[in-house]
Amino acid sequence: MIPVLDRPLVQFGLAVAVVLILPVTMRSGTLASEILIFGLAVAACNLLLGYTGLLSFGQGIFFGLGSYVAGLGLVRAGLPASVVLLLSLALGALVAAAVGWVSIRRQGVYFVMLTLAFSQMFYFLAYTFSGLTGGDNGLLDIPRPRLGDTVLSGPWAYYAFVAVLFLALFAALQRVALSTFGRTLLAIRDNEARAGAIGYPVRAFKVAAFAISGAVTAFAGALHAMLIGVAPLSNIDYHTSETLLIMTIIGGTANLFASLLGAGAYLLAADALSAIWPRWLLLLGLLLIVITLFLQRGLWGLIERAVALVTRAPPPEDPAPDRPVVSNPDVAPASEATR
Amino acid sequence: MSEPILATDALSVRYGSFVALQDVTLRIAENSVHSIIGPNGAGKTTLFHALTGRIAPSAGRITLGGRDITRTSDHERVRLGLARSFQVTSLFPTLSVRENLRLAAQGRTPWQALAPWRRAEANRPVLAVAEAMLERLELTRVALRAAGELSHGQQRRLEVGMAMAASPKVILLDEPTSGMGIDDIAAMTALIRDLGRDHTVLFIEHNMGIVMNISDTVTVMRAGRVLVEGPPAVVRDDPEVRRAYLGNMITGDISGPKDLVS
Repeated sequence: MIPVLDRPLVQFGLAVAVVLILPVTMRSGTLASEILIFGLAVAACNLLLGYTGLLSFGQGIFFGLGSYVAGLGLVRAGLPASVVLLLSLALGALVAAAVGWVSIRRQGVYFVMLTLAFSQMFYFLAYTFSGLTGGDNGLLDIPRPRLGDTVLSGPWAYYAFVAVLFLALFAALQRVALSTFGRTLLAIRDNEARAGAIGYPVRAFKVAAFAISGAVTAFAGALHAMLIGVAPLSNIDYHTSETLLIMTIIGGTANLFASLLGAGAYLLAADALSAIWPRWLLLLGLLLIVITLFLQRGLWGLIERAVALVTRAPPPEDPAPDRPVVSNPDVAPASEATR
Repeated sequence: MSEPILATDALSVRYGSFVALQDVTLRIAENSVHSIIGPNGAGKTTLFHALTGRIAPSAGRITLGGRDITRTSDHERVRLGLARSFQVTSLFPTLSVRENLRLAAQGRTPWQALAPWRRAEANRPVLAVAEAMLERLELTRVALRAAGELSHGQQRRLEVGMAMAASPKVILLDEPTSGMGIDDIAAMTALIRDLGRDHTVLFIEHNMGIVMNISDTVTVMRAGRVLVEGPPAVVRDDPEVRRAYLGNMITGDISGPKDLVS
C-alpha cells in the first residue's frame, strides 16, 4: 500500500476529481449519474466485503428497497424527495440490520447461503405483492426531485444533485472507515476469533456494518429510481447483488475510492461493449477471472503499482490467499478444545 | 493466603460422554505466577477455554475477584480484566503491529469503539498503552510492519503483548514459548517474570525449565483432573507427578531447571 494514496483527503480529492471530470468527458448525463449512484452502492458493499470480510449477496435487497421507497413515497404518498431519501436511509438500515442479524449467526459458506436465501425471498416478496411494488412492471412515473420551483429533469441537472449527495455520503463513509468502528471491522476481517477474544462483541459490529451498508445502498437505490423514473423489479433481483459484488472486486477491496473506480469501469465497459456485442457479459466474465487471478487488489491495486513505479517506491503486494497464522476455532472446535 | 483473584470450584467440562475436565478446583493468588502443566490431553487448554468463556462448563463455578463469571460472555470477561494469549499465534496479520496493540488496548472499552464517527486517534489513553507495549515488547522498531510479516519470535511476543495491552488483572498464556528458539525463549521468560510483578499470570507450559524457574505455584493436571498442586520444588519431587509423566507421553523435561538463564 502507498500511504499517501490512502490519506482521506487524497481519497476525497480523487472522488471530487471524478465528479468534475465526468461531465466534461461524457456525453450521457444519465450514465454519469449512474456511475456515482452505483459508486455509492459499491462503496457500501465494500464496507461489508472489504472491511468486514462479509461476502453478502443481500445488497440487492437494500438497493431494491430504496427504489421502492422512492416509488411509493414520491408517487403514492406524494412526499418530498428529501423525506423519501431520509426514509430510504432509515428503512435500508433497519432491513439490513434484520437481515444481517440473522445471517451472521453463521460463518463462511453458510453465511453466504443465508444472504442468498434472503435475496431470493425478498425478490419473490416484491414479485408477489404486486399491489405495492407493481410486480413485474415495477413502479412507474417516478418524478425527478425539485429544487425550489425547478424540477431537476435535465440529465446534468440531476447529475449535479446526485453529485452533491454522492460526495456527502462518500465523506461520511470515509469517516466511518477511519473511525474506531471501521478499524475494528478490519480486525474482524483479519481474525474474527481474536477480535472476540480481545473483547469486541463481534456480532454487534457486524450488524452495525450491515445497517450502515444497507442504509447507503438503499439511498443509492432511491437515487437510481429517480434517475430512470422507474422502480423496476430487477433492482431487488439477486442479479443486482451480484453486480454490486463484481463491481466491488473489480475496483478493489478495503478502499472506498476503489469502489467508485469499480462502478465506473463496469458501467463504462458495459456501455461500450453492449453496443458492439450483445453477449458482452462473456467478456466481463473474462475480466473478472483475470482480476481474481492476477489482480486481487483490483483496479485500485493497478493504480498503486503505477504510482509506485513512478515514485520508485516498492510495489504493493497482493495479499496471500491463505494465512496460516490465522486460527479459525469455528472450523474445528472439538480438536482444539480437547487438547 | 488472601482472597484469590481467580478461582474455580468443581469445574467440569464434558463433550458428550467424554470428560475433558472433572471437578477442577483452583485458587490463583493475586500477583502470582501460576503454571499449569500436564501431559497432552490433560485438559489444560480446555480449562483455559472455560476460564475465558470460549466454552461453557458443564458444572462448577468460576469467580474473578470474588465475582461469579461462570455465565459471563467471553468479551465481557475481557472487560472485567481477564485476557489470554493463544497457543497458535492469532494476530491481525495484515494490520500493523501498532494497530494490533491499539485494538487490543481498545478492547477493554469495546462499546465505545462501536461509534462510527469517533476517530481512533482521539482515544489518547489507548494510544499510550499501545505505545508503552511496543516499548516493553521491544517491537517499536517494527511498529509499522504488518503483524504477519514478523519473525516467529516477534509474533509470539506480540501474541502475549495483545493480552497485556488489555491491562488485565489476570493474564492467561497458552504455551507462550511454543515453537520458539532458545534466544527467544529467554526473552519470553524474562517477559513473563516481569509480568508477574504487576499482574496475575496463569500459564500453560511444556518447557519445565521455565515452569520450575519462574512459577510461584504449579498445578499438575492429568486426564482432566488436578493431580498435584504446590510450589515448584514440591511438585518436582512428587512421586505421583513422576509417575504421571513417565506413564504418559512425556512432553517436557521434568528434571528441573538447568538450561535457563536467570
